[in-house]
Amino acid sequence: MFSTLAEQIINGIVTGSVYAIVAVGMTMIFGVLRAINFAHGEYYMLGTFGAWFAIDYLELSYEASIVVGILATIVIAYVVGRLVMQRMVGAPAEAGVLATLGIALILQNTVILVFGGGYKFFSGGYIEPVSVLGFTLAQQRMLILVVCLLVFIGLELMVTYSRMGKSMRAVSQNIECCEVVGIDVPQVVLRTFILGAALAALSGVLTAPVNVNVYGGMGELITFKTLPIIIMGGLGNVRGTFFAAMLLGIAESLVATYIGLQFRDTVGFVTLILTLMWRPYGLFSTEARF
Amino acid sequence: MTKVISRRAICFSTAVLTLAAAIPNFAGTAYAAGETIKLGLVAPMSGPNARYGSFSMRGAQLAVKEINDAGGVDGRKIELVSGDSQGTPVEGVSATRRLIDSDKVDFIIGDVSSSVTLAMQPVAEDAGILLLNAASSNPKITYGAGVGGYKWTFRNYPTDENRALIVAKYAAEQRGFTKFSVLSVDSDYGRSAIEFTKKYLPQYKGQILTEDYYKEGEVDFRSVLAKIRDSGAQAIILYGLADTTPIIARQMTEVGLAGKVPVIGNGEFNTPSTIKAAPRALEGAVEAAAWLPAWDAPKSKAFVDKFTAANKEGPNNHAYVHWETVHLLAQAIKEAGSPDREKVREALSKIKYDSAVGEVTFDDHNQARLPMILLQIEGGKPSIKGAFTAEIQYPAK
Repeated sequence: MFSTLAEQIINGIVTGSVYAIVAVGMTMIFGVLRAINFAHGEYYMLGTFGAWFAIDYLELSYEASIVVGILATIVIAYVVGRLVMQRMVGAPAEAGVLATLGIALILQNTVILVFGGGYKFFSGGYIEPVSVLGFTLAQQRMLILVVCLLVFIGLELMVTYSRMGKSMRAVSQNIECCEVVGIDVPQVVLRTFILGAALAALSGVLTAPVNVNVYGGMGELITFKTLPIIIMGGLGNVRGTFFAAMLLGIAESLVATYIGLQFRDTVGFVTLILTLMWRPYGLFSTEARF
Repeated sequence: MTKVISRRAICFSTAVLTLAAAIPNFAGTAYAAGETIKLGLVAPMSGPNARYGSFSMRGAQLAVKEINDAGGVDGRKIELVSGDSQGTPVEGVSATRRLIDSDKVDFIIGDVSSSVTLAMQPVAEDAGILLLNAASSNPKITYGAGVGGYKWTFRNYPTDENRALIVAKYAAEQRGFTKFSVLSVDSDYGRSAIEFTKKYLPQYKGQILTEDYYKEGEVDFRSVLAKIRDSGAQAIILYGLADTTPIIARQMTEVGLAGKVPVIGNGEFNTPSTIKAAPRALEGAVEAAAWLPAWDAPKSKAFVDKFTAANKEGPNNHAYVHWETVHLLAQAIKEAGSPDREKVREALSKIKYDSAVGEVTFDDHNQARLPMILLQIEGGKPSIKGAFTAEIQYPAK
């Protein structure tokens, strides 16, 4: 009984790690742009496709495919960032919703047009199970867990100490003041956007070996899972996102075990509704930020 | 230089044009010889079931090419028009309407998903278009067809009822299993297969310990597989989607179920790439399928060779059933003597068609009498244990 519970919590933490890496990018983009990036899951998909392409067509190793997947996503994110995201600075909220939803459709359907709508088989990764503390986990999941921790430690340090992190926080607080003191706002927006997209791609490439399938529509589900997380975490809050992702992962895992797998996807939306009803500014901040 | 068009000329030409446009309507369903026959194919060409759509399409295309290369049906070529159902009832109904209203198809083959086919039935019925299903297994489709209601629905595919019975029987009698866990897809196919499994399990003293259904597109099965492992089940009853089988099998290896608890049911367990993804988890798996590439019949082997040559990959069950169903329809049109829908429907209900898995005839519910093939994965390869046909007991109305 206790070991089942412990095992399910570990499962939840692994799932939560995947969500966390995707969601943190989305929440940072929200911080600087005040817009929810509905295309965020598509960068997760692009990263995975890049890696799959590298393995199946260029016959590279899995390690090299991680780099290819992320670089490909960075190039696409740069183009989208220059053409679309930079224009959203100061634009009304509807503009952001329409623009990002449009980008999601374009990216998804371009990939389907080029590679076909069918599922592709992702053959790379370390899928051999290993035994840890009496539980068996695929090596890949251990890797995801470690990478997630490193990403968050890195982001905390960057946001707190680096110039880019400081300017990101400044932009998320007051765009006019940033312009007055000489912070290049469009540049900060572009960099944050590329960083967020690259993190989504990283999450996609790391998860691909355990999720096996690669297909054009795979990003949609991720966008819908990350949306409740960033709202629970307090929009724009990096640390809050981490804990919200873990909470959702664990809650999903427990629901799948004790209630039924078919109710798993409802967890995110139920928590989203509850959060919006009682703590619309997120679980981890004491007051509304704006 | 200017040309003056008189009012009389305009009146005259309009009258001629109107008459010309009206002639095909006067002609009604009397087809001119040499005219093409339009065949609509509704299948999931995108979305989580796109694999099925892609195989269905290529199977149907191969059959159409074979028929047209041989001179068509009584000199008429077949033109295949595709409609994307995305595997969802809403899109399936729109695709069906588009095929009927704008593409003006004469016949429709579709869909793969039972949920979509059930939604398409009333649309085809209202339009009086023959809907020939080739790949949905939910029994309700033909419970409500023929004398059951929908006159225009036919199904050339065995049902979940037959499938559930032979899987339960084999698991109990040949493998000696009594304790089962359910892990099926949350759809009309996955749920009806379990419904009928529950009907037959008590006969074999089988009991279900846990019951879970996954959403299409689910990728994380660790929690539910750990629960199944701890429940003490001897086998997992899995009626799932082909694309999800490798994920489940890999995660079975991860949580330590591989080699201990086999999966039984359906979900393309016998596809080489699926077995390669998790060989230990799929060893001993039992599956009931309408067809599989390893089926030993000359017509079947010839199809596998032709399909593989044209597509650089081997066919699956859906490629086969759509290929066979297009040929079945062509024979019905030939026997009817014209593509007139009423006559083709009559011909179909009386047809005796020689398929790769045996002779096909339709019962009074427009359901084909077809066997389910039972196989077991042994040494990484499917080994066929036999083909079983069951007469369907329709519920009393």
